[in-house]
Amino acid sequence: MRPGRDLGLRGAAAAAADTILSAASVSKAFAALPVLKNIDLDIRRGEFVALVGPSGSGKSTLLRIIGGFETADRGRILIDGVDVTGETPARRPTGMVFQRLALFPHMSMRANIGYPLKLKGLPPPAVAARVGELMALMHLPEHYAGRLPRQLSGGEQQRVALARALALSPSILLLDEPLSALDAKLKKNLQAEIRDLHRKVGVTFLHVTHDLEEAMVLADRICVMRDGEILQYATPGDIYYRPANAFVASFIGEPNLIPVVAIERNDRGFACRLRWGGQASISLDPGQFATGLIVDGALAKPACLMLRPEHVCLSSRAGGEGSLMARVAEIFMKGATTQFRATTASGLTVSFEVQGARSDLARIGEVVPLEWDARAAFVTAVEPS
Amino acid sequence: MTGMTPLGAEVPRQLLLYLTPAGSWQLAFYGVPIVLLLLLTFQASENFRVAWVWSLDTWISVFSAPHIWLALLRTLAMSALAVLCCFALAFPVAYVMVTRLSAYDAHIKLAILFAFLSDMVLKTYGWVLFLDQEGILNWILRALAVVPADYDTGLVFTLAATLLGITANLLPFMIFTIYLSLSAVDRDLLLAAYDSGASHLRAFRDITLPLCLPGVLAGGAFVFILSMGSLVEERVLGGGKDPMMGTLIRQTFETRVNWPLGAALTVVLFTVTIATMAIAGWQIKRMRGRT
Repeated sequence: MRPGRDLGLRGAAAAAADTILSAASVSKAFAALPVLKNIDLDIRRGEFVALVGPSGSGKSTLLRIIGGFETADRGRILIDGVDVTGETPARRPTGMVFQRLALFPHMSMRANIGYPLKLKGLPPPAVAARVGELMALMHLPEHYAGRLPRQLSGGEQQRVALARALALSPSILLLDEPLSALDAKLKKNLQAEIRDLHRKVGVTFLHVTHDLEEAMVLADRICVMRDGEILQYATPGDIYYRPANAFVASFIGEPNLIPVVAIERNDRGFACRLRWGGQASISLDPGQFATGLIVDGALAKPACLMLRPEHVCLSSRAGGEGSLMARVAEIFMKGATTQFRATTASGLTVSFEVQGARSDLARIGEVVPLEWDARAAFVTAVEPS
Repeated sequence: MTGMTPLGAEVPRQLLLYLTPAGSWQLAFYGVPIVLLLLLTFQASENFRVAWVWSLDTWISVFSAPHIWLALLRTLAMSALAVLCCFALAFPVAYVMVTRLSAYDAHIKLAILFAFLSDMVLKTYGWVLFLDQEGILNWILRALAVVPADYDTGLVFTLAATLLGITANLLPFMIFTIYLSLSAVDRDLLLAAYDSGASHLRAFRDITLPLCLPGVLAGGAFVFILSMGSLVEERVLGGGKDPMMGTLIRQTFETRVNWPLGAALTVVLFTVTIATMAIAGWQIKRMRGRT
């Protein structure tokens, strides 16, 4: 059982009536190379879902299949309970914001936003009224209406693309990495705006990005993909603190991933024997293990313990459970935090982070005792599936 | 937006310096000959020689010779038809190259380029072989038995044959300019149009066509200008019964050795070509401004 699919099924059972989008067993191959392998994905009405994965994970292809720009080899797409698998983009209740925005360069801002309305056959006054409404919603100044896309700034172009995609009040707004080409500051502003827009219009958003941090900021639920498969579909908190496997864990931040040798039952739950400076052991609750990892009181597959750098710190005492000695190798000032990288006797690298500018805590080359918050540790699978 | 220097504003001195080599070349080998040509029209031809008399006699004879204006009209009509024929043939070819056969477009481009580079006179004579009374076209038609055994299309040495020759020779210009502008149209724009509810035909009309218009216009300009000055096609395929301006000018210079008249005809052709282009350009600008 894949953890991602497991969660997906439970979600569907809980909110079957309120499912706006349902992708069932969707597969797609390009020239015999599979890009989507039997994907199941359910999205609830009004939800903001982010599809995240490295390039080649199939996230964009899945989005394009949902939008009708690509046809699946197998599987079905249901929107609002209606099977739209064979429908053209024009006949689907979806609006798309393209990666390069795809604003019509020869049309004014007004004509771009009004194009779907004009095609719908709305009379010109109704088109003008709705365009004005959308421009107000996107904070686009009215006197810009006659400008061509190239006369607008990057942020304004984004907003025009959003307005055009929202013009026909779609059931689902599809966003194909529209922020990837922007500089960091503008990106942050637009993330806030998109989040805000989602709250205002109440439309379901499906946002593709390769940036998990962006997904965490924006989405209610995140679907992490790799090699055409869903690795985990969960809330940002679960993705960060309870990743389904080492890949998901490493997708954001720089977690410490320590191989787990074996587990034994004890009074708290399980004692994990770790392969680092000697054989350290750590006691964990049964809830601190990824789903399906423990079968009959033993590890079902290779596992590792994830410790986020912010949950490791310098210890005042040496030795004992939940601590180890390491030699400081690197110190980075990151502004709000200071990051250390240290190496244990067995050659394992541990990174830890403390609040504030604290490079005074240790010197490079110094051997220091480390301890961690065992409650924040999580044992996850090394490999997906 | 980048700040563009308005026309007539201060031009950097360095730019003038950079323009000097190209500018003097243009002046020496383009500007000066045109001025000479213009001066030549005010002279007379006596005993096959230019006599420097400074009179308007050449121009008077130009304006009182209807056959010259008939030839000019014929040239204009033929060129306009050539533009239409080239567009009608080139657009589907370029469109298919970009959309359907994009995997082979390098091969197709190479094939067209080879056809383009091979000698024009030779290709034009090829059409004679094809259209001739005992030529390939008649032979095929007779072999297919769709026509009687002594049937002749009668196409060779007609204006239609000339048009065919001009169209065939100038087609690559049109194909390449349209191909370039079509391949520059972002495919996502079409997808965005479909997403907005457009049918394929509607998206083609609203997006593809307006965006590749610059290429169509550039190709049209190429074909028109080159066709206005065409010589070989009319000479080889037209039979000389209804001369176009190119033939008329060549005859005046070569056979009649009347240089002042030849120069005047050249000036007429030149002026009419530029004027037509200017009017067409102005009209198109007006039409596009309206949408």
